[in-house]
Amino acid sequence: MSEAIGTVAASTEQAGREAHRAHPGAAVYVIVAVFLAALTAMELTVFYVSALKAVLVPVLLILAAAKFAMVAMFYMHLRYDSWLLSGVLIFPLIIAALLLISLLLLFAYLAHHIG
Amino acid sequence: MAAQPKPLPTESASYLRGGGLLGWLETVDHKRIAVLYGASALVFMVIGGIEAMLIRVQLWSPGNGFLSAAVYNQIFTMHGTTMIFLVVMPLELGAFGNFLIPLHIGARDVAFPRINALSYWLFLTGAIFLHLGWLWGGLPNAGWFGYANLTERYFSPGLNLDYWVVGLLILGVSTVLGGLNFFVTIVMMRARGMTYMRMPMFAWAILVSSVLILIAFPPLTVGLIFLLMDRFFGTHFYVVAYGATPILWQHLFWLFGHPEVYVMALPAFGMISEIVPVFARKPLFGYPMMAYSLSLIAFLSYGVWGHHMFATGMGPVADSAFAITSMLIAIPTGIKIFSWIATVWGGSLRMTAAFYFALGMILEFTIGGLSGVMHASAPVDLQQTDSYFVVAHFHYVLFGGAMFAIIGAVYYWWPKITGRMLDERLGKLQFWLTVIGFNGTFFPMHFLGLWGMPRRIYTYGAGLGWTDLNRLETVAAFILGLAFLVMYVNLVRSAAAGAEAPADPWDGRTLEWSIASPPPSYNFARMSEVRGRDAFWVQKYGRAGSRGVAMFMAGQAPPAPESERAAPAQPVHMPAPSIFPLMIALGAGVMGAGLIIGWWRLIMIGAGAAILAAIGIGFEYPAWGEEPRDPESAAPGGVDVRKVGVWAFLGSECVFFASLISTYIVYKSRNAGGPGASILEIPLTSFSTFVLLMSSLLMVLALAATQRGDRVWERIWLVGVAVFGLVFLGGQAYEFTRFYREGLALQTDLFGQSFYTLVGFHGAHVAIGVLWLSVLAVAAFTGKLGKSRALSVELAGLYWHFVDVVWIVIFTLVYLMQQVTVA
Repeated sequence: MSEAIGTVAASTEQAGREAHRAHPGAAVYVIVAVFLAALTAMELTVFYVSALKAVLVPVLLILAAAKFAMVAMFYMHLRYDSWLLSGVLIFPLIIAALLLISLLLLFAYLAHHIG
Repeated sequence: MAAQPKPLPTESASYLRGGGLLGWLETVDHKRIAVLYGASALVFMVIGGIEAMLIRVQLWSPGNGFLSAAVYNQIFTMHGTTMIFLVVMPLELGAFGNFLIPLHIGARDVAFPRINALSYWLFLTGAIFLHLGWLWGGLPNAGWFGYANLTERYFSPGLNLDYWVVGLLILGVSTVLGGLNFFVTIVMMRARGMTYMRMPMFAWAILVSSVLILIAFPPLTVGLIFLLMDRFFGTHFYVVAYGATPILWQHLFWLFGHPEVYVMALPAFGMISEIVPVFARKPLFGYPMMAYSLSLIAFLSYGVWGHHMFATGMGPVADSAFAITSMLIAIPTGIKIFSWIATVWGGSLRMTAAFYFALGMILEFTIGGLSGVMHASAPVDLQQTDSYFVVAHFHYVLFGGAMFAIIGAVYYWWPKITGRMLDERLGKLQFWLTVIGFNGTFFPMHFLGLWGMPRRIYTYGAGLGWTDLNRLETVAAFILGLAFLVMYVNLVRSAAAGAEAPADPWDGRTLEWSIASPPPSYNFARMSEVRGRDAFWVQKYGRAGSRGVAMFMAGQAPPAPESERAAPAQPVHMPAPSIFPLMIALGAGVMGAGLIIGWWRLIMIGAGAAILAAIGIGFEYPAWGEEPRDPESAAPGGVDVRKVGVWAFLGSECVFFASLISTYIVYKSRNAGGPGASILEIPLTSFSTFVLLMSSLLMVLALAATQRGDRVWERIWLVGVAVFGLVFLGGQAYEFTRFYREGLALQTDLFGQSFYTLVGFHGAHVAIGVLWLSVLAVAAFTGKLGKSRALSVELAGLYWHFVDVVWIVIFTLVYLMQQVTVA
């Protein structure tokens, strides 16, 4: 049995090593950080430049989604890990987005028609 | 403390034996935890049943003074709350789910045994809070749905609803932890060969229910947090006078409340799907469609909450959308009904008590389903809403559906759980009493409702024509009570002197029947590879199911289970018992008590005890943070169960924050008397955002250092992340202080309270992350981290990055879109 434990432990360790090998190195992490900082700077630009007020909402949402995706894919390693983990995040994320949109629409109707 | 592999005993030792009282207090065995859940729920069932009897006695005659209006409100509130949260859910998920899921999928325990124990102790703590009103201050009294703003301090000044809100919050945490555990267990710990399409349907049902729990409970938690803040901290989330809308509570509650109906119904479907094939001696008809329809029911159930709110005036578009989804859900539900009927059709039926209740469930639940479709139509629903028609409907669903299934499950699985048989004659007597009592109590309510009798009234006038049917219902309710008395007598008699149960008394189809009754603590002496659907049936008879039926018809006994013949000679690792889950729950209880009596030191003591106990669990493992894997149940694909657990938790957190953010956006422009969103300062927050983003960089660098065994940089980066987190928190503290000085307090207006709550909860998450990282840093400096413990750093990192991405969303929606209004 101890042999069996050893075999499984070794295979798990090997799988772990393979998974870690698949993770990016420090250079990629730093590049991602630079992108995150740049995207944040772009958000602030959109916020402060009055000429961009008309596209404020869509641009900010896109930039936030891009930052969200970069952190999830590279720092949380979803790009390198099992699809199962992506599914475990994406399904509730979709539910959360639908919940938010539904509630906002329902309350917008309430505000405009009932007060 | 350390859990070492130990040899199996030569004889199968029952999981029920040994350990004494302490053994039960610190147990992490899923079967013992199941028994604790079951025993607790059976006690609460007596309490909830007595409450039902009191309701019926009060409604016996017009103008009855048996109960006052105030006491009646408490009794019907507690009846609903008790039956839903303390009886049906704990029996289905806590008791049967816990006992059966590892056995059904061929595992030795659940994925997180200590969290499983914590779920139970939190459940008991929450249940005690709900019942404290018997002793002091009165029971909760605003209905199980607790509609705002009846629940506000102004309208309910007593302790009643304080108990309710604290109790439900604790119960919610317990349920989410339980759902998370089941999800990870079923996804990650199935035996070799147990594909999704070979899983018992009960495991499917628990899997889908668990997903529902993870996404449906967060809105309730948020709604309860708002209520708690209104009652204890002077906010006004539901008070119209301050510009708020009580409809918010209804949305948050029913976003939970309708999926909750399916959290209770789906395990019942699973139970019936196990019982019917065994006693019809046929495989479940249309297995794939049954599995798909379970999933579809769950998905649709999240989009039907509005049909509880047609009367609130959501508008024709929303009404139509909710009506369509509510009607659609009847399709997968109908598939299940027809599949059960088709399974029974042409079967070699054995009319046991369990099968009686299964057949009864199919009939009674169908009646409840049909009246449910009526509610899906908005114009019809407007006539029925808040009438006794609704009471009839949901009792046909929850009693006719869930409770019939639970009682059937008791008769079916009791021999496996206790090793004793129940009296079949008493079981059949109970069935007929239940059918008569149940239909006599609830069917006339359809008529009373259509005749205009409102629900929740404590009395009625003599000239309304409701008296005769109410009397019939009361008599029938006592027959129903008698039926339960028969069941309790049967249980006690069986436990005391019931006939010994063989391993496979029903010629079962699933793996739990392949091991002794009651099972040994390690479940399976040898983990066989699953070779087909109905794993044990295939093991016994081969793939040709008809061979088993032919043997039955010829009066031959089935062959002995393979695992019973297997020699249990190998050592097996089982999780070590732990007292810390109980201590965490005690800490939570002390916090709740401190909150209710307004003693802040008590809250701090409780929080401190809970945190220390949680850290204690971390240090309890034999190799600090690394539970030795049981080679028999090693996770497939090299993905650790803890990683899946953390991701599932984060998924649930997404819905939690979505509920908070939605409320903020709805309330942000309601800033009467306060400075509003223009007070938000972008430069400072931009700096904080940058710090948090960069802390994520340090976090991945810490993980990379740990993975390559670089202890120096591992320590530096970990400390760096914690420091950056503290800087972020410092910025938030400065911001809050400045806002307060400029006139924006928590209670100032709806903007203030929704802003502080959203950003404050994110800050609390950051603080927990800093605490977690500090523990890791201490471990790193004491040499207990390192390359072999990289997963511990990775898990903390996942949480930390999630806190970061939530802030990315908050920074955009709250700060950068401060001038954008939606509602």
